[in-house]
Parts: sequence; C-alpha cells; structure tokens
Amino acid sequence: MTMRRRAFLKTAAAGAATVPLWRGKARAQAKPVRIGYAISATGPYAVGASITQAPNYTLWQEQVNARGGLAVKGEGRRPIEFVSTDDRSEIETAVRFYEKLATDDKVDLMLPPWGSAMNFAIAPVATKYGYPMIGPTAISGKFKELALPYFYTMLVQPEPQMQAVAAKLRDLREQGKIKKVAVAYVNDLFGIELNAATGPAFKAAGLEVVDTKSYPLAAKDLSPMLRGFKAAGADAFVGLTYPPDNILVTGQAKEVDWNPAVFFTGVGTAFPFYRDRFKGAEGVMGIAGWNPKVKFAGAKEYFDAHVKKHQKEPDRWASAFAYASLQILERCVGEVGLDHARIKGMLDATEFQTVAGPIKFVKGENVATPGMIGQWQKNEFELVWPKTWATGTPVVPKPAWA
Amino acid sequence: MKTLLLDVVVGGLTTGGIYALVALGLNLQYGLMRVLNVAHGEFLMLGAYLTYALHTGWGVNPLLTLLITGPTAFAVGLALHRVLYARLLEGDAPESLESRSLLLSFGVMFVLQNAALLVWSADLRGYSYLAVPLRWLGTVFPANRVLAAGVALALGLAFYAYLRTSLTGKAVRALMQEPDGARLVGIQTARIHALCFGAGIAMSAVTGSLVSMLFELTPFMGLPYTVTALVVVILGGLGNMLGCLAAGLLLGLVETAGVYLASSDIRLISSYAVLSLILILKPSGLFGR
Amino acid sequence: MAARLAWAALGAALVVAPQVLAPYYRSLALAILADVGLAVAWAFFSGPTRYLSLATGAFFGAGAYTTAVVMARLPWPLPVLAAAGVAAAMALLVGTLALRLRGPYFAVFTFGLAELAKHTLIWFETSITGTVGRLLLSPPGPVTLYYTVLAVAGLAVATAMALPRARWGVALIGIGADEERAETLGIDTTRVKIGVFALSAAFMGAVGGAMAPRWTYIDPQVFNPLVSFQTVIMALLGGPATVAGPILGAVFLGLLSEILLVKFRYLYMLSLGLVLIGVVLLLPAGLSGLRRIRRA
Repeated sequence: MTMRRRAFLKTAAAGAATVPLWRGKARAQAKPVRIGYAISATGPYAVGASITQAPNYTLWQEQVNARGGLAVKGEGRRPIEFVSTDDRSEIETAVRFYEKLATDDKVDLMLPPWGSAMNFAIAPVATKYGYPMIGPTAISGKFKELALPYFYTMLVQPEPQMQAVAAKLRDLREQGKIKKVAVAYVNDLFGIELNAATGPAFKAAGLEVVDTKSYPLAAKDLSPMLRGFKAAGADAFVGLTYPPDNILVTGQAKEVDWNPAVFFTGVGTAFPFYRDRFKGAEGVMGIAGWNPKVKFAGAKEYFDAHVKKHQKEPDRWASAFAYASLQILERCVGEVGLDHARIKGMLDATEFQTVAGPIKFVKGENVATPGMIGQWQKNEFELVWPKTWATGTPVVPKPAWA
Repeated sequence: MKTLLLDVVVGGLTTGGIYALVALGLNLQYGLMRVLNVAHGEFLMLGAYLTYALHTGWGVNPLLTLLITGPTAFAVGLALHRVLYARLLEGDAPESLESRSLLLSFGVMFVLQNAALLVWSADLRGYSYLAVPLRWLGTVFPANRVLAAGVALALGLAFYAYLRTSLTGKAVRALMQEPDGARLVGIQTARIHALCFGAGIAMSAVTGSLVSMLFELTPFMGLPYTVTALVVVILGGLGNMLGCLAAGLLLGLVETAGVYLASSDIRLISSYAVLSLILILKPSGLFGR
Repeated sequence: MAARLAWAALGAALVVAPQVLAPYYRSLALAILADVGLAVAWAFFSGPTRYLSLATGAFFGAGAYTTAVVMARLPWPLPVLAAAGVAAAMALLVGTLALRLRGPYFAVFTFGLAELAKHTLIWFETSITGTVGRLLLSPPGPVTLYYTVLAVAGLAVATAMALPRARWGVALIGIGADEERAETLGIDTTRVKIGVFALSAAFMGAVGGAMAPRWTYIDPQVFNPLVSFQTVIMALLGGPATVAGPILGAVFLGLLSEILLVKFRYLYMLSLGLVLIGVVLLLPAGLSGLRRIRRA
C-alpha cells in the first residue's frame, strides 16, 4: 500500500471517527471551512513539497478535525475541507488554480504552494483577492520589493541567516579553530542571494575567504571544486547548497578525502534522510530552525504526531515553520473569525507562540526567529547558534567521516 | 599540474563511460529504427529504483542487481515493442515515424514517471556504496565512480564485440546500413527490431543501476540522461556504435576539463560547444555517414 | 462557407470572452490561446519542411526573459515586440548552423538549445550582473494580457494561412518534398528555411513575452525543454499538415489536461500519458484525421 493511500485512508478514518462527535451536538452538521491550495506533487518541486509542506497540511487538517473542526469565532467548530490540486511544478497551472480558488470556488482561506518561485507568482494573486497568506517556503529579499500587504514570510531571510553564520565563524576563528573559509553556492536565486549576503557579512566579521565557486542546480560532479578548496588550505567549508547537491557535495568531500574543521551545507542538511544517508553525518552543520528538543510548547508532540501519521520525520527547518504557520492561522480564525481584513490585522499586531517558537511579523516578514545553525550530533540536529536558542554546544573540529 | 591532468582524464572517463552506455541503448533504437524514445531516461530511472529497492530491502550487492535489472528490462523492452512500437514501425515513413514515436514515448514517459511517483513518492532516496577514496598516483578517486564507469565501459565494449562477431550482430549492422538490402537477403526485420529495442531498454536500466550507486534518486531523474544520450548519439553519428562509445567518452572528457579549468557552470555549455563544433565540421556526426 | 462562418464566430467569441468569463475561465482561455500560438507557429515551419524542431522551449524562454528584463522600461506591448525580436535573432543565429543538419541531427540539436540558453544565461548573470531572474513589479492587467496573447495567436494563425500561398511558403513546401530538387530549381533554400524559422521563433518568443507577467518572477528555469515537447505533441495530435490541426491539438490537450488535473489529482500524468498513447496508436493522422474518417 502506498504512503499516499495510507495517508488518505487515515484521513478518511479520522474523518469518520469524528462523525459521532458531531452527531453528539444538538444541532445540524456544521458547514465546513473550505481551504484551498496547490502543491507540487509531480515535477522538480515535488521533492521539497512532499518533505516540508504537504505532510503538514494533511496532518494539521486531521488533528483539527479530530478536535471537532476549526474553531471559528462566533460559530463554534467547523470541519476543514481542503480544495487542492497538484500544480505539476508549473507556475501557470498554480496561478490559474489560485484564481479559480478565489473567484470560482470562493474558498474561505488559502494556503501557499511550495518554493520561492511559486510563491512569487501566487502571492500577488492572493493579495489581489484579499486572502492573507503565510509562506513557510518563500525565501528571498525580493519579497520585500513586492510589498504585498497580505503576504507573510516565515523563514529567516538571506541576510540575517548569513550574518549568523559569519558570527559563528568569527567566534571559531577567535578560538583559533579555523583560519580559511571556502564558499560554494548553487547558482539559482536562493544560492545567489545567500552568496550576496555572505560577501559583506564575512568581510565585516574579518574572515579570510580563500575561494568562492558557484555551480549549477543539477550538478553531477563537484569534486573539482572540492579538490580546489582542499588545495587552497581551507579549513571551513560554507556550502550554500540545496538538495540533492548538498548530498553530492558531502559524499564527494569524503571521496576526495577532505574533512575540514567546519563543514556547513545550507539546505537539506536538516532533513532526516541526510543524516541516514551519511550514517549520522556527525559534525556536519547546516541551516537550522528547529528540532524536537526545543523548549517550545507542542514541539515534541508535533514531532511524534508527524512520525505517526506519515511514517517519516519532519525536517529540522521549514517543516516546523509550515506547521507553525497553520497554528497561527488557526489561532487567528479562533479569535477574529474568517474575515480576511481582521485576520490580517491580527497577523500584523500579534506575537504568536508556536512549535517553532515566537513568530512576529513586521511588514510581512517574521523578525522573531534569528538565523540559526544546527549540527548533527548523535543523530539529532542540535541548534548550536545563537547561544540563546541553542540546544547543544558546537563540536569543532568536525569528526572524521563515518 | 600532473595530478590535474590525471584528475581530468580519470574523471572524464568515468563520466563518459556512463554516458556511453546509456547512449548505446538509445542508438539502437534511434539509429536502427528511427524511434525517438524520449522515455529512454525513464528506464534508467526504473533500473535505479529497482537496484535501490533490492539493495536497501534485501541487502543485495548493487553490482549483482545488474543480473536482475538487465534481463527484466530486456523483457519489458520486448513487450513494449510488441504492444506499442511495432504498429508504428510497420506503417510509417521515416519522418513521421520519428514524430509519432516522439509522441508515443512522451506518453510512456508520463506513465512511467507517475507510476514511480505512486510507488516511491517524490522523496529523495539513495544509498551509499563504496564511497571510499582510492589513492593512486598522488591523487584521489572515488571508488564507486571508477567501478560504475568500468562496468559501463566493459558492458559497452562487450556489446560492441557482440555486434561485430555474432550473426545477430551482423544482421543488426546490416539493417542499420542498408535496410532494404538487408531485407532482401532475408533478415527478419521485425525480430531484429524487437531484440534491439529490448537491448536498448536493458542498457538504459543497467546504467540506472550503476548510477544509483552514485546519485540520489527521484522519479524525475530520467530526462537529463535522455538529453545527454541524444547528444552523444548525434555526436558520434546516428547508428554508429563505435562512434557512440567514442563520443560518450569524448563528451565526458570535455565536460570534466571544462569544469576543472573554468567552473561547474560550464559543463553543459562545453558539451554544446563540442556538439556545435563537430556538427559544423561534420553535419552527420563524428563517424556518421 | 459554413467553416468560415464558424471560424468568424469563434473569433468573435474569443474577443468578447474576457468581458464575460470569470477570471479562472479567462485564464484557461488565455493559456490555451498561448498554446495555440506556439503550436501554430511550430507547424507553419516544421509542418511543410518536415524538420522536427524541438527549439520551442528556447524561443519561448528567450521571449519571457526578455520581457522580464525590459518591462520596467518600456510601455506595453513593446516588451512583447522586444521578446519577438530577441527570439528571432536567436533563431537567425542558431539557424545558420542548425538548418544545415538533417532529420535526427536537427531535432537533437534544437532540443538542447533550451538547456544551452539556460546555462549560458545563468553563467552570464552570475558572472556579470550578479543576480539571476527578474521581478516584474507592475504587470499589465489580466485583460490586457489576454488580448495580447489573442493578438499574437491570431497573427500566427493568419501567417499560417497566408504562408502556403506566398512565395516563401511554396518554396517551403518544395523543400519539404525534396530539398535537393528545390535547390536545383534555383530556390535559395538556406534563406527560405532560416527566414521562416526565424518568423516562427518570433511568434514563440512573443507568446513567452506575453505570458511572463503572469508569473511575477522570471528566472532562467523558464527555458524549459518540456515546452518543446508539449508544443510538438499538440501540433502532431491535431495533425500538422493543416492550419486547423495544431489549433485543435492545443485546445484538446489544454482542456483535457485541465479536466484530468482537477478530477484525478494523483493520476493526472498517468491518464494523460495513456490518452497520448491511445491517440498515437488509434489515430495515425492525429485529431484532424477524425474528421476525415467521419466524412468518408
């Protein structure tokens, strides 16, 4: 039985199990809250979407409906009904579907698609029709340029993220643990923006960057680049990478026999399959945001529920933020109802407590989450920077490859 | 400097060996039958997943899985030919055959990708096999890449030898060079077509098994390999097996050299530059007629 | 006569559509019109010459990226004209080499163009401009975009209808029938081929340029080889020999995809693939062959 069929049956079973709850109430069955979205189930975006976003949407729906439905101010609980489709990783398809959701299906709420490119296209559509939208997988400085009043980003944007990395590396350099840094970045918008932020941040931190190299998205061989870094004597590797390149670069570093004191691979490191692929990936660092040990309410419960429903762990970065965005939506609807302007008002004014910690939006950007670095230690992605959020202390130099 | 040359040569040959094998399979279909099978890479994907499943599920050594993926894919290829492509091959003129097989293969591509998606989901999958450094002549090479390329080249050369020496092989070459003449001397076209189609699919799947040792798997990994295979086939000269092997290795070398000397971004541009250059000088490919 | 009236009525309906249709259906019509533009432009070159061009994705992408770059500086619809111009220039450049190749060599060479353009652009952008992709901050409204795409598609259809009667169109058919013979008859086959190839590319670029504002952010991923396949499939499905064929193919595939997507979320690709296989095996001349079967 495929995972999707299992998931579907579980949802159906959960839905069926809640029926007696409704019948128990002494009034007619509540009208469902219709929430619309498109998510990439096929095509290149499907990989990321199926790890980070899609599982959280279905998990949340199941949990909320098990409680009797979404609490809507003044209306009691109403079950959540999704109106969704596969956007095939095609932007045009997604744009059309969201237009349909707004004008034809007239859904009550909308959830975002996966990835920056999709969010660029969909955010204006949502704003045009006045639907507040919180995007957990939209990362780019350019979203600010769009200045869309109804669109909110959750994750740390490139500048604060690289400033965090710079601060950590400076700390290590001052301890004498590293000297020379090498930077590699994937040449799509994400990598380029991170690299653009890295330049000034590293310079301000006084770090010596011996080499910076870019590579294409579907690269098959990064060993020339790694050999170059090794020959230049770099002892800190900062990879602004994406899956599957972060896996490739890690595997190849081992193959060319290079084990620098710091090995940082941006995105994808926080994913459980990365850990499993490299037998624990002990000591590898990456962009982090969360792990089940953080002291925020509901973190561990969320982790367990995700594993139970989907037979796989949430990733240690955007997954929790995707779930958090749903928690935020739930709270807003509970306190101000389904009116979009009121929801926006609450989003702009409130600091939310979620499984991913405090979230506060200023001009549509979450400013409460700092840039964070995680490191795989004994099979958990410990948060090692900033010190105020840390769940573990960094291990430098990185132990030998397993 | 000395190690740079060695790095480029070994790196180029390892990449090229894989290119050569997957292209050989396509050459059998495109060169012989003018069947433009854009789903070629999907069989590579399926071979990769099969090896992945056998290795992670039952602990079978990835190299041994070739004994399963190869014959299975061959059988699948024979069946596909019978059910789908044979009908096209009976009717059409070469140009419309090309277009219609494109259409048909596109449909097959969609079906296979979706099937893989349903079975394995879009999650990235992979395993680590022999990801150890081999130290040789002052530099380091990944054992798994060298092994994969070695097996690929060995299979490619073995197939080429088979084509040169066996009776079936001679029949295949006859059909490629002179389709009408070959039929006149009694070569059974339909049977040879079926065998070649099956062999082509098998080669693609086996390449996939080898590739699974090196890279992560997704249901959408096939298309780039189809593109590379097409480039190699054209570069070497459509229908020419030796040309195909040589072109695959050449392409691997050029790409690797480009990456070492400039940057990774250059990889595809250098392939194209080589292709353009060759086609300007010889519009029918390196060894084409 | 009845056919002409039917086409006229259809044309009128398309012009009125955005005033009447809900936004989703208008968008769907716009997307199908874009596909019609691509398929018809493809067919008026590749149909008669039998050169299977897989370069559509490259020209479409070039058009889209051009519009993204110049849109802030030029009033609409000039960016679309710029897009057409850039795509045509690209075709002229590439055509001189590509059109010396025959059959499979031509097909494969053009297929790689989309990828080549993408990687070259990325390399250029990362080395020189330091950024990649362009944000389209104030796009024209959806109704404007609809009429732009309608105009491009309409012009493409008009060109396709006029071409067989024009001197170059006749030469093109001659080239398709027997290229060497055409040359011995004194036709400058190179000039004719490259000229029409560039004209076809111009339309493809214009479609890309007209669609780009819908996506807000355009990055080099817009050079997509799958667009090349899809265009060919639409044209072949409908039957490339007629003008109506590619139109039928585009409409059929567009509507079918949308219906399948909405109905069968996880099996959409599977069902579309099976339909394609079925059509190829059962309808040798494509959808326009259906009409002929019924008449006979």
